[in-house]
Amino acid sequence: MNFLHMTENNFSLKKIEISVSEAEKRTGRNAMNMQETYTAYLIETRSVEHSDGQSVLTDSLWRRYSEFELLRNYLLVYYPHIVVPPLPEKRAEFVWHKLSADNMDPDFVERRRIGLENFLLRVASHPILCRDKIFYLFLTQEGNWKETVNETGFQLKADSRLKALNATFRVKNPDKRFIELKHYSDELQSVISHLLRVRARVADRLYGVYKVHGNYGRVFSEWSAIEKEMGDGLQSAGHHMDVYASSIDDILEDEEHYADQLKEYLFYAEALRAVCRKHELTQYDLETAAQDLAAKKQQCEELATGTVRTFSLKGMTTKLFGQETPEQREARIKMLEEQIKEGEQQLKSKNLEGREFVKNAWADIERFKEQKNHDLKEALISYAVMQISMCKKGIQVWTNAKECFSKM
Amino acid sequence: MSGGPPKALPSTGPQSLRDMPHPLAGSSSEEAVGGDSTPSPDLLTARSFGDKDLILPNGGTPAGTASPASSSSLLNRLQLDDDMDGETRDLFVTVDDPKKHVCTMETYITYRITTKSTRVEFDLPEYSVRRRYQDFDWLRNKLEESQPTHLIPPLPEKFVVKGVVDRFSEEFVETRRKALDKFLKRITDHPVLSFNEHFNVFLTAKDLNAHKKQGMALLTRVGESVKHVAGGYKLRNRPLEFAAIGEYLDTFALKLGTIDRIAQRIIKEEIEYLVELREYGPVYSTWSALEAELAEPLEGVSACIGNCSTALEELTDDMTEDFLPVLREYILYSDSMKSVLKKRDQVQAEYEAKLEAVALRKEERPKVPADVEKCQDRMECFNADLKADMERWQNNKRQDFRQLLMGMADKNIQYYEKCLMAWESIIPLLQEKQEAK
Repeated sequence: MNFLHMTENNFSLKKIEISVSEAEKRTGRNAMNMQETYTAYLIETRSVEHSDGQSVLTDSLWRRYSEFELLRNYLLVYYPHIVVPPLPEKRAEFVWHKLSADNMDPDFVERRRIGLENFLLRVASHPILCRDKIFYLFLTQEGNWKETVNETGFQLKADSRLKALNATFRVKNPDKRFIELKHYSDELQSVISHLLRVRARVADRLYGVYKVHGNYGRVFSEWSAIEKEMGDGLQSAGHHMDVYASSIDDILEDEEHYADQLKEYLFYAEALRAVCRKHELTQYDLETAAQDLAAKKQQCEELATGTVRTFSLKGMTTKLFGQETPEQREARIKMLEEQIKEGEQQLKSKNLEGREFVKNAWADIERFKEQKNHDLKEALISYAVMQISMCKKGIQVWTNAKECFSKM
Repeated sequence: MSGGPPKALPSTGPQSLRDMPHPLAGSSSEEAVGGDSTPSPDLLTARSFGDKDLILPNGGTPAGTASPASSSSLLNRLQLDDDMDGETRDLFVTVDDPKKHVCTMETYITYRITTKSTRVEFDLPEYSVRRRYQDFDWLRNKLEESQPTHLIPPLPEKFVVKGVVDRFSEEFVETRRKALDKFLKRITDHPVLSFNEHFNVFLTAKDLNAHKKQGMALLTRVGESVKHVAGGYKLRNRPLEFAAIGEYLDTFALKLGTIDRIAQRIIKEEIEYLVELREYGPVYSTWSALEAELAEPLEGVSACIGNCSTALEELTDDMTEDFLPVLREYILYSDSMKSVLKKRDQVQAEYEAKLEAVALRKEERPKVPADVEKCQDRMECFNADLKADMERWQNNKRQDFRQLLMGMADKNIQYYEKCLMAWESIIPLLQEKQEAK
């Protein structure tokens, strides 16, 4: 649990601790009035008193996964320049055979609980996201929260997938750094997926190796029954083989934690891509606006000088049905000039917006990079520590077995 | 060479063993040697002289030990020597130096057989000859013929069945060499077999083929007579002690078979694990190429996994080469013992049949004819030999399995130690703070 700072409606700064402490199976009725089973998670918020460091439980409420999703989608729309922390996976993927892929499986629920807690902590420790009102309400207002979020109308503000795709293809001059970042996030996603898949297979095989040794336990025991002097040594060695075989369960359970750390960054790759997409959209918007403005200016100029360099419907119809009156032309020029002025204003603000976006986004991306390097290093260290522990256990068991054999 | 020819140990040739405690029977070895006959001063001198020339103590290199460099395997060998403490050894045989011979008709391997002995039966104190597998096969057949009441150690399998194994690969030749060495050492250890004339010829003759052509000369008295016992006699009741041996051997062979299957399965699983590891490690390398600050740590993890993979490969190779063959050989060994048991049954059956025939003749003065007496002798001799052999077989088995299983534990310990070292060495690399760009 971390200590975090939060403001609420510019009130006094509070230090808080957040934890997702419990998970509970519930049954209820869904939108179509059909019975469903789901898991609810208890979120507890504690406020830490400055003076004595004691924490007081200030809020506790239950949320289900779909509400977490709603919160995240909201954050994605309102903070497009932020690399929004990802949620733990919806369905169990990259499982090796012993783990079940069932969402109701207690191990999966437990790991999800930890993942959801991690998500909240990431949001709460983000300098910008932690100040969001909806996030605050998520932690403090159980009833009615969903309605409050929907009232913000964030779904309408969201960019359509189609629009984003269109921008990606047609943008002419995106910031180079974002191109590189997009490329990086694609590669990162690909390599971590590969790593997780192979790791699951490695876990599977390792499980097999350990478990087969358990058979030695049984056969040594049977064999010891027909032996005189060798019997005791064989029997006790067999016991160590059983210990060896059963040790793999805990070892692989621990390794799942490492896999979860990798998965978080796998999903972060998508968050990075989202920021890149937003940049492309903004940039495309800017380019389109500039194009339109240039076209209008061109038109205006042609009307004023009387030369028609570009094809226009008005020009065609004028040719066919007769010229327009000078008054009509004046009116049109005036309108265009208005539009051009507006357009120039818009372009200016869009330009500003675009530059602001790039600046803010890039600041968050730098923050993210630091976080990623730190976290992944920690993950690798803890993985190495796990391997060391596994090796030491192996040496212990086999040394014990060897001693038993020596007494045969 | 100072001193006259030393007095040989009292020969325990084809006489009945009933009168003499078996010199190599388990813990009573010390008593037997010390109690019944005090070694003469000449003998003692001769023995210490023999020691100086030693390269390897007899029976001191069981096929199952790890490489000599490992300190734990050195300990194993020392342990074995301690067990054989009370013994006097005057015959040492080693098999080594395999060489490939390419001739027009065939290609084959020969092994060098080095013999050192102070025994009277040997003209020279040292011999060095070259033999090939079929020579060993000949020796074994001759021993079975001439010593039918004794358990003859098995040979490694003649033909290679599984898969496409290269008969001339280093691993195969080495595995076979170890097994042949074991075979000869077991004969050397045997108080009767080691004095067999065929064995002597095998160890000493410059041209073994010439001897082979001489045919079936010199069968011992006992051998001859037992040889003529064709089948046809059915044993009604196997005496309890031999029945117990038979049952034991049956169960033993079953358990060994199970262990063999488990060991094979483990190796198979380990190889599949190795395949996945070999794909796993390089992915970290691929990732490393994408990163800046994380590049070194990721590359380090990749290398680490590579080292573990190599260690695993060494483990599976060792188990395949050292563990499985010895295990299989013991199954053959217990099969040999079972067939000796059956032969014994034959002899007893013949005796009982003849005895019954006499009883049925209803003579007034039933006297046991000479040939029935001979049968009884034969049977009792066989029983004694077999019991003695079984006991030494049990002892050998105990030691061999202790070695084998300790070796297996050792190999696993070494594997984990190598992996531990790899992971421990990478921790400082992972914790290293990168210099600011």
